[in-house]
Amino acid sequence: MINYKRFSLENGLRVLVHEDKSTPLVAMNILYDVGSRDEDPANTGLAHLFEHLMFGGSVNVPDYDTPLQLVGGENNAFTNNDITNYYLTIPSENIETGFWLESDRMLELDFSLKNLDIQRNVVIEEFNQRYLNQPYGDAILKLRPLAYKVHPYRWPTIGMDIDHIENTDLDHIRSFFFSHYAPNNAILALTGNIGYDQAFKLSQKWFGPIEKRTIPSRNLPVEPEQKEERILTVERDVPSTALYKVWHIGSRKNKDFYTLDLITDLLAGGESGRLHTKLVRGKKLFSEINAYLTADIDPGLLIVQGKLMKGVDIQDADESVNEVINGLLTENKIQDEMEKVKNKFESSTVFSNTSIMNKAANLSFCELLGDPGLINKEVDAYRNVSHAMVTESIERYFNPVNCSTINYISTRKEK
Amino acid sequence: MMNSLQRVQPPVFQVEKVVIPEAKSFILNNGVPVFIIEAGTEDIMRVEFLFRAGQIKEYLPLLASTCNMMLSEGSQNYSAEELNRSLDYFGIFLNQTSEKDCAGIVLFFLNKHIEKVLELGREILFRPVFPEQELNSLMKKRLRWYMVNREKVQNLATDQFFESVCGKNHPYGYQILEKDFENITPSLLSDFHSKYYTPENMAVVISGKIHKKTAELLNSYFGNINSKKINNETSKNLIKGEKLKKIHINKTGTVQNAIRIGSATINKRHPDYPGLKILDSILGGYFGSRLMKNIREEKGYTYGISSSLSSLDLTGCKVISTEVGQKNCKKAIDEIYKEIKLLQNVPVKKEEMEVVRNYMTGEMVRMFDGPFALAESFRSVWEFGLDNTYYYRLAEKIKTIDPDEIIKLARAYYNIDDLYEITVGSE
Repeated sequence: MINYKRFSLENGLRVLVHEDKSTPLVAMNILYDVGSRDEDPANTGLAHLFEHLMFGGSVNVPDYDTPLQLVGGENNAFTNNDITNYYLTIPSENIETGFWLESDRMLELDFSLKNLDIQRNVVIEEFNQRYLNQPYGDAILKLRPLAYKVHPYRWPTIGMDIDHIENTDLDHIRSFFFSHYAPNNAILALTGNIGYDQAFKLSQKWFGPIEKRTIPSRNLPVEPEQKEERILTVERDVPSTALYKVWHIGSRKNKDFYTLDLITDLLAGGESGRLHTKLVRGKKLFSEINAYLTADIDPGLLIVQGKLMKGVDIQDADESVNEVINGLLTENKIQDEMEKVKNKFESSTVFSNTSIMNKAANLSFCELLGDPGLINKEVDAYRNVSHAMVTESIERYFNPVNCSTINYISTRKEK
Repeated sequence: MMNSLQRVQPPVFQVEKVVIPEAKSFILNNGVPVFIIEAGTEDIMRVEFLFRAGQIKEYLPLLASTCNMMLSEGSQNYSAEELNRSLDYFGIFLNQTSEKDCAGIVLFFLNKHIEKVLELGREILFRPVFPEQELNSLMKKRLRWYMVNREKVQNLATDQFFESVCGKNHPYGYQILEKDFENITPSLLSDFHSKYYTPENMAVVISGKIHKKTAELLNSYFGNINSKKINNETSKNLIKGEKLKKIHINKTGTVQNAIRIGSATINKRHPDYPGLKILDSILGGYFGSRLMKNIREEKGYTYGISSSLSSLDLTGCKVISTEVGQKNCKKAIDEIYKEIKLLQNVPVKKEEMEVVRNYMTGEMVRMFDGPFALAESFRSVWEFGLDNTYYYRLAEKIKTIDPDEIIKLARAYYNIDDLYEITVGSE
């Protein structure tokens, strides 16, 4: 059970506090309710580029990192389709430095052209390192536009086209900041060796004076229902053929979310998952296979991806994946496996919540979903999934017309 | 305006004190040392079984890592599937680790399952049967993983780096070849297992909110295991680097080059090591390091660059690692050498010393925060026959090191003529 207190400042900043005296550190997490889904299709990759710019100095503090390191702090950040999340850990005596730094970059960034030019290059190298210079690295770049035709999830966080990053300018950057970075568009979570009173006082002092900003309302195009199966074949000089299959699912907030999460665990939760035991160990069709949810706030995807063993036909591999999924419909042995994945979910939740950093990030995200208390309810929600719910979800979502497939074919001739 | 919050001047701060909890130790009936670190608020534990059974002990490539991976592929009382199902059913996380010196397993679990954990742990560690069919399919899978890994410039560069630094015939250094995947047999694994997964070679590190029957249960599951008294021929191969200092491996179709620059160096047992650790941090050990500032934050050549020290039983290694766009490869390498020379010749300014001192002190606080970090920190000195005095020396050195000592260390340990320079990518 994670105890927390919650308050809001007059400017709309929501704050969550969880005290844990067993650590000498405090974790501070700031979630901004902006991700790549909020980008203009003609100017993608901006949310993520922006995350880089946030370290380039703010209106009163020319350098973010050095003062933090000077007080023994450590920080990082990530951007995804939905959110931009900044986090740091700092020895508790020095937590005010965290407030000082984070509030100043919420107040206003130092929009410098030099910083933009450098971070542009850094992001292009990040793009090269993650997507172009890795075998199979471009699969995800192909997968999104196959599954989404309209919704902004059709482009990856790094951007639809690296030219967008090359061509963006300071005006775009400035307007992006003032329409998304604001106390009323952010959630602050503090966990670890900090009490409520101190958290309240410091939040008031540093974030209180920042004015509320006008946030344009989010009006994203709704992805129309997929009506026919989509298959894309690409050929690449890679060692093994790979298979990627995705199905549209609902939002992270949808009632089926935990059922689908449990289904991916039955399929691929560890070594005893069905895809692994039946297709890696049993039929030896794959060298590795995985299944997971994107867990997006707008309707997301369930992804199955695997690499084939040498000489395996991709049609056979594909059919066998469907067979394993449909096998979950029959009652045989399923109750034991359901109990198993529920136990594993419970234990991984306990482990994940031993870290103050995870607790801060989870609290912030649960608040964004509408209920910070969700952090304590997830195990029960997952435990309450029945086999009837599994069956219903499989029938609803695992429909061939709801599926997009990439056959990522190896062209390499092996001796 | 009423509001006149002063935002330019940083808030006052203090340098915190590093508190290092001591581990309690006791010995099982068969002589196995056990270390216990009480920490955390949840009813969970981490148990690590550690053996001197790493790569250094193998007489054939892949033997140590395969032996470790095969531990969970079937035992006297459980098939591989039964083992995996049982671990998952009780929500137990099993990590199998095989490194250059040590190998073993780590189990994370809820305290209420401690008996099951110890029972399964004993099956995995002391009753594996190395079934041939599982071995064959593991080696086929590993070959596929290997082939994918060898597509990545960073892996090619790291493998070549260890070959160059430790020698192409040394277990720390040799590179794996496709044919190596055909040579491992069940009997080789049994032989390796009976020599190195023994109580004499073993230690147990336990951390978390310790279950009150831990010692008693551990003794009943592991205290009566005795080894078959096989004489181990210990051949301490000397580390001898290859002659060629600069190697470029051509890999067509890549858009970035991987760079590794470094050499063999001292390890944790050497009195200069804490100082070298600080020097390494200044050079490339944190986000505010010289290499990050220069090559990423000023020039934008790379997404990331770092330098790191690794300690091995028979040597240490220091290495600078990065991936950079092809057109900037030469320039990045020049800048790396420039930064090393600066550290050898120009005293580090007071302000930078203060940042690195405080940052490293903060890192030390993180190293001893929570049951998992504590166990890892304990293990990483215990392996070298050291104890917490190593950390006290490091903490003291962080406080007291001066710019002259940094120059001395940079000259003594970063001789540019000794450094290997590995690049991988298109010409």
